[in-house]
Amino acid sequence: MTAKGAHNSEAATSTGAREARSSWFARLVSRAMSRDLHAFVVPGEDVVRARGLDLEAAGLRISATPRHASVLVLVGELPRGLKRAAAVAYAQMPRPRTILAIGADDLSPLPEPDASADLEQESLEKGVVELGRWISESAFRDEVSDFDADAVRTRTEYTCSMHPEVVRDEPGSCPVCGMDLVPRESAGGMDHEGDGEHGDHGSVDHDEHGGDGDDGSAAHEEASGMEHGGHEGHGGMDFGHMDHGDGMGFMSMIEMTRDLPRSRDGLPMEWAAAPFGPLFPGLPGGLSLLLTLDGDAVAEARATSIVGVRSLEGSTRSPGSFVGRMARLDPLSPVAYRVLALRALEDAAGAAPEEREALARVDALERERAASHLGWLAGLGRLLGHARLASRAGKLQLALLSAAVGGGELAGLRTQTGRFINEVLRTPFMKRRLEGVAILPEGSDASGPVARARGIPDDARADEGVYRDLGFEPAVRGDDDALSRARVRLEEVERSLDLLLAAGSDFLPEPAFDPGLTGRGEAGIETPRGTASLRVTLEVGAVSDLEIHTPSTHHLRLVERLADDQEIAEFLVGVASLDVSPWEVVL
Amino acid sequence: MSVALTLLMLAAGAYLVAVLEGWISTGRLSAAGPITGGLALLGRESLVPRKPDRIFFEVAPPLLLVSAVLAFAVLPISPNLIVADLATGALFVNAALAYVMVALVMAGWGPDGVYAMVGGWRFLGQLIAYSMLIVMPITAVAMRAESLVTTDVVVSQAALPNALYQPVGFLVFVAAAMAVCFLPPLDLPNAPGELAGGVEAEYTGWRLAVFRLARLLLVVTLAAAITVFYLGGWSGPLLPPWAWSAAKALLVAAAMLMVGRYVPRLGEADFLQWCWKLGIPLALFNIFYVGVLLLVLP
Amino acid sequence: MTVQTVLQTFFLAFFGLAAIWFAVVVFRTSSMVRSALALLFSQTAIGAMFLAMQAEFLGVLQIMMMATEMAIMAIFMVMYMMDPGGLGEMDMTHQKRLSQVAGVVGAVAALVVAFFAGWGPVAGSAPGAFEQTRLLGLEIMERSMLIFETAGVTILTAMIAATATAIAVREVRKRGEGE
Repeated sequence: MTAKGAHNSEAATSTGAREARSSWFARLVSRAMSRDLHAFVVPGEDVVRARGLDLEAAGLRISATPRHASVLVLVGELPRGLKRAAAVAYAQMPRPRTILAIGADDLSPLPEPDASADLEQESLEKGVVELGRWISESAFRDEVSDFDADAVRTRTEYTCSMHPEVVRDEPGSCPVCGMDLVPRESAGGMDHEGDGEHGDHGSVDHDEHGGDGDDGSAAHEEASGMEHGGHEGHGGMDFGHMDHGDGMGFMSMIEMTRDLPRSRDGLPMEWAAAPFGPLFPGLPGGLSLLLTLDGDAVAEARATSIVGVRSLEGSTRSPGSFVGRMARLDPLSPVAYRVLALRALEDAAGAAPEEREALARVDALERERAASHLGWLAGLGRLLGHARLASRAGKLQLALLSAAVGGGELAGLRTQTGRFINEVLRTPFMKRRLEGVAILPEGSDASGPVARARGIPDDARADEGVYRDLGFEPAVRGDDDALSRARVRLEEVERSLDLLLAAGSDFLPEPAFDPGLTGRGEAGIETPRGTASLRVTLEVGAVSDLEIHTPSTHHLRLVERLADDQEIAEFLVGVASLDVSPWEVVL
Repeated sequence: MSVALTLLMLAAGAYLVAVLEGWISTGRLSAAGPITGGLALLGRESLVPRKPDRIFFEVAPPLLLVSAVLAFAVLPISPNLIVADLATGALFVNAALAYVMVALVMAGWGPDGVYAMVGGWRFLGQLIAYSMLIVMPITAVAMRAESLVTTDVVVSQAALPNALYQPVGFLVFVAAAMAVCFLPPLDLPNAPGELAGGVEAEYTGWRLAVFRLARLLLVVTLAAAITVFYLGGWSGPLLPPWAWSAAKALLVAAAMLMVGRYVPRLGEADFLQWCWKLGIPLALFNIFYVGVLLLVLP
Repeated sequence: MTVQTVLQTFFLAFFGLAAIWFAVVVFRTSSMVRSALALLFSQTAIGAMFLAMQAEFLGVLQIMMMATEMAIMAIFMVMYMMDPGGLGEMDMTHQKRLSQVAGVVGAVAALVVAFFAGWGPVAGSAPGAFEQTRLLGLEIMERSMLIFETAGVTILTAMIAATATAIAVREVRKRGEGE
């Protein structure tokens, strides 16, 4: 499969090139750049691996920030919010910069991609080669143009440094205290990109949420440009009694810090709001956090998903297209949602799948579960800076996703994975990083491995006949911390692989449904992240109403309850331990 | 002449360590890797954040570079190849390395970004942990050599390298050295997974190239310091002295780079606890132990 | 006047002026962080002066200690101070009258000591750096041992006291919140 429609109009590609005269040196440098590709991945490495692609094998090195990347890699169909975030990331990349689109079509507001590929490893590798060729030819040009998009423009607002809730569009004075309002840039984040050569660029801290225009209040609350260290006044502190200037007298540290809010470790520090996400390397792609940092401790957290499920209604659909739509709901667990849709429809029709098909579904579900947990482990490895864990888990995940059913390949994979899992927690310091982290407060509503890690043996599979026949039992642990959740998931990988080897069937026909089907159906399924349930109403063969509950919707709310003045790294590990999939969050 | 040659060896060492680092992180051995990478970096724009503290933003990478080179300047590669044979050489290494902290504080503060600032703060935590441990083992080394001159330190190890004579001090110093050049698992300031690059996040283009080069030179310098203080520097049969120094330093650098892949990042609080509760008593014990050995053994 | 004395005088003057200039910057800038780091470089210049005066050990020690200390101070500035970036254009001088008087008194006292203290006979040349270090070590171990031991124990006491105070505060708060 060859790469599609690559080299495009002058205008499009010149937003990526850097302005320079053509010379032997420029050619030498562009050739060097074509061989040293650093990729910033949208939506995230987790999605890339879940789709079975191996970027490193294709010759791309993953970079942690758009600043250090030369290629923006877009994988799969992206929702609008994510495209805006990607546009902001693109604007932050230094030139020359390129775009590689894999399985993605319309990319606006981004410019046309410089190379495209399909969602297959071979096509990807060809795309990368072509990208390299583009770079060595066109990285430097005589004339370049700015990248201008709505998502990337700044809006200047005026706020009071003592009362940040007061925000106006014009300068004036604060209605509360009478001070002059100071200017501040807000969400959407950047000035127009200047021309390459001349020094200063309007650039803002990266990973800033592209500003979801629908939700106006969110735009105000985000802190763009930094509010740390009092650069733009104090993030929310009231120093009413403080008076700068000559009449100050002796400044006692104790007096000055008396009224500052204290965090758990007793150090009074400036509070700053920092966005983490939606394209942050240590978090699932699409998860956007706004953390209030007290030094390097997280005092508060707000979590949103910019890739969540907005509305599944709309046009009535035939059962076939409905199933397809559900399968595309969450790129991290497509099989689970496809089977959920099938089950709900079968429940409405009063039918039941035959045994061979049921076994095949178990096979597919358990494969996906094991792959999902391995992918989670790889993400955890990257977060913890444990390079070997990240790379081994990633490779095992990819091998599992592409392994054929039956035969020695899966059995060999099972032994390899078993050995790997034994080593994971025995690595020095791994347990230290996970133990006691992110214990959920009382009354938290959790599901899936998170619930099972609290000792609640809650697993939708335990009620299903097929699973009981295969001898399934849920994996349960007692403590409620990140270590416990990791243990549950590791054990589930092993059990899923065992189920996989026991089921060993791959017969998955496309089920046919009665065109005049009417009725209501309900079904539940144990996705890798928890129990999901679906209720559909059919009228004469078309889906007219549906209601879906997903585990990540609850878990997203749990993220906000995790902020407890712990260090950033610990907080992020806690968020990772919940294994939230922002794609299945119902907004 | 010898100065130029020594600096040339530093450059060569940095190049080889860069190749090693590339090999370890990508699994592919690419001899021209550093050149390609360096050219690629130089070809990219160097962006400046919107409201930086300009002086600090600009000064931080060169300061890191200068600090690494100055520390290397007092380390001998062979009896004749040393840039500056100071009488207080062993102490001077520490003086130069102290500016690593200054540079990272500047790099943390300069760009006016949360990730960079948090990276700077975390390096402070790391500094408080390692600063005692990078000096105390050198005390014991100087005790054996009865001199602070680095060439004397190497000569004093003719009978037995310090790694075997004072193993506790050796281990402590290696751990502290990894903290100074913030290699994984002690890479709190730039933490790629957690802080999206931390202190180096806001540097691009040629400034990033300078920063990375400085970091590389720091690794080479610390490997050379470990070689001089603990592995007997240039001593060894058959090969010429400079070859031994180079080989030992490269081995040490490779070991330091590889360890990080197998272990998760050490949390700040944990590292501080380990260093102060375990590291410092061990370093004190090491000094006592070396003192006893020196006084008791003939 | 040998080349060496000329060079020595030149560098002494150069680093001396640099130290004074950085010290002035400490008060002229309104950014806390710049102030702290300017102080750092002022101290480094003094260390360089020691090196120019061939007091190698003292010079290296001064450079090393001050770098670490001032960098930590800069960090504390950022953590605690309201406006470390200096955007508020705050005036860094306080208690102007008192500090002017103190400055003048201090300068006069230093000059008095420099000119009227009995420094002993002028040495023909400074001993070599290696010999100096050795003599310094012997001095610490013999005549000045008590001074350094007292200083060391005092510093240790201060560290322990500070840590104990910080922990006590935290425990009081924990108990307070628990109620």
